[in-house]
Amino acid sequence: MMMMYKPRRMHPAAVIFNFLRFMKELTFAIVAGFLAFKGTSFGYFIAAVIAVVVLALVFSFLSWYRYTYRMEGDELRIEYGIFIRKKRYISKHRIQSIDLTAGVIHRMLNLVKVQVETAGSGIDSEASLKAVRREDGEALRTMLKRMGEQPEDTEQISSDKSANPVKKITAKRLFIAGSTSGSIGVLAALFAFVFSELEQFIPDHFFEASYAWLIGLGITIIIGLAVVVLFLLWVLGIAGTMIKYGNFTIAKQGEELFITRGLLEKKQLTIPLQRIQAVGIEESMIRQPFGFATVYAEIAGGSLENGNEYSAVLFPILKKDEVASFLETFLPAYVPEERRLVPIPGKARKFYVLRSMLPVLLVAASIMYFFPQLNWVSAVLFIISGVFGWLRYQDGGFLIKGDRMTICYRVWNKRTVHLFHRRIQAFEMMQHPLQRNQGLATLKLSIVGMLGAGKHFKLKDLEERVVDRLFDWYSYQKKER
Amino acid sequence: MRLPPRNSIARDAVKVWKIMETIYVGFFWLFIIAGGISVFWFDFPRWPLVVAVIVGVIMSYFVIFQIPELRWRRWRYEVFEQEVYIQHGILIQTRTLVPMIRVQHVDTKQGPILKKYQLASVTISTAATTHEIPALTEEDAAALRDRISNLARVDDDDV
Repeated sequence: MMMMYKPRRMHPAAVIFNFLRFMKELTFAIVAGFLAFKGTSFGYFIAAVIAVVVLALVFSFLSWYRYTYRMEGDELRIEYGIFIRKKRYISKHRIQSIDLTAGVIHRMLNLVKVQVETAGSGIDSEASLKAVRREDGEALRTMLKRMGEQPEDTEQISSDKSANPVKKITAKRLFIAGSTSGSIGVLAALFAFVFSELEQFIPDHFFEASYAWLIGLGITIIIGLAVVVLFLLWVLGIAGTMIKYGNFTIAKQGEELFITRGLLEKKQLTIPLQRIQAVGIEESMIRQPFGFATVYAEIAGGSLENGNEYSAVLFPILKKDEVASFLETFLPAYVPEERRLVPIPGKARKFYVLRSMLPVLLVAASIMYFFPQLNWVSAVLFIISGVFGWLRYQDGGFLIKGDRMTICYRVWNKRTVHLFHRRIQAFEMMQHPLQRNQGLATLKLSIVGMLGAGKHFKLKDLEERVVDRLFDWYSYQKKER
Repeated sequence: MRLPPRNSIARDAVKVWKIMETIYVGFFWLFIIAGGISVFWFDFPRWPLVVAVIVGVIMSYFVIFQIPELRWRRWRYEVFEQEVYIQHGILIQTRTLVPMIRVQHVDTKQGPILKKYQLASVTISTAATTHEIPALTEEDAAALRDRISNLARVDDDDV
């Protein structure tokens, strides 16, 4: 541990990661260049690519060579920069979380990536050591975290099992999560895209031959093929979920939640409880009929680099009736209420259905103009959008209990969000002329989301006087009005 | 229905908006003029130009002479001990409640047109949203800014 006080470099493997990162940033340029120079000046292009690669290697090496870190007193001190020397000192008291992640390469070499985050917003972590030996990473974490605490306290906490609950995903559940992930649609789109790009590299006669072959096969076999392709995509979806959420474990220790996940790349996420702004339960279209849901949290700040997209998944899949006990263990303040929600008034139904059908009107008009033989598609779209409008109306609602508000809404997936009065940053009521005429109003509330940007929730077409009452609930000025 | 906020913004806001709308509409007319020139230059059919001019005239009238007045009438604000209450919007009417303890910072801003009428706008930012009160008199804006920043951040929740 004493070594921590001397400036030291990361593991040389960091050069590889620097290089990969450079290449990742250049991919677009290289692909664009490839498409642009495909024909004539291809030789120059190759030369340029080689030059770029060599440069990237040199820079990767230099940036590793010039990057040192050390602990000094209560501070983590990092010095880096190739031409311009930069020094960054991070006081350990300001650190919100330290996460150790390990990708495939990391795991082969027994390395970890250390990400240090403070409360500041921004896309990058405050400090990110791309590759250090696992022991060093863990030592660094203990130094930064536990230095101020009494060692016997930590003993006590970890010995008390009920205070440190842990929940791990089972293989069966993981499989269910994968098969209902719905990524099949995304994959199909990706597949179509890749295929359409590949198309230009496949000689024409190949297409002609395969078309002839396909037509020869007849309709049943074509349908069979389609089913096989869909099935393969579905399996891919399962594999994707397995890789992403494999070994998903959530643990609570004191005032923090620790989440580890990933089959190949092991990711760790630390969530200080006081940074949770809201807790949501998502029932996706595919999972809802089977009674499964995902629990997630909206967290203030955080960084994109950590891979927690917009909200942090607290548990990828749970039976709906297990959600309450899950929250009871990990986030007792957010246990759902048994009472029924206050629904959206019946006179709002027409607005919901119409709002949902309106965009289809545009599509239908253009279909009618350009492809009149496909008018049945518009009819189907109208029905689907109408049904969704009705579902949105049906699922919308809210509930107030003390200083906690629950709102329920659906865009495609049904979401139930629990949030506290003190987390709401602003409360807004909106009315367009039609709503005024019907005595309805839209409620919008804002909380802090990822990267310090706002996250807004809207409940459309509530009864006007209900929104008024909600304003009174939110208002800090109870006496004057 | 909750009562609307009590205070109107400065009356001169209407003049400021009229000037600004005139500038925007001016750009729009530049396009129409350019279109007109090309119609005569290249001998395009004339009816689209006629339609554009008619639409332009009607639009300009509403945008310059009607909308600023309406907007001013709808714009209301009130600062309480604990929160700021704002109302605005011509078609879609919006009422907003921003608690003082959620306010992160307050800015006043003054462009050249606002300055001409000794006005300033006040922007109130929370961790998630920003709200602007356009066109208050300089004294009002400064007083409001000071008042809000005094009241804001009484307690310290961790966001």
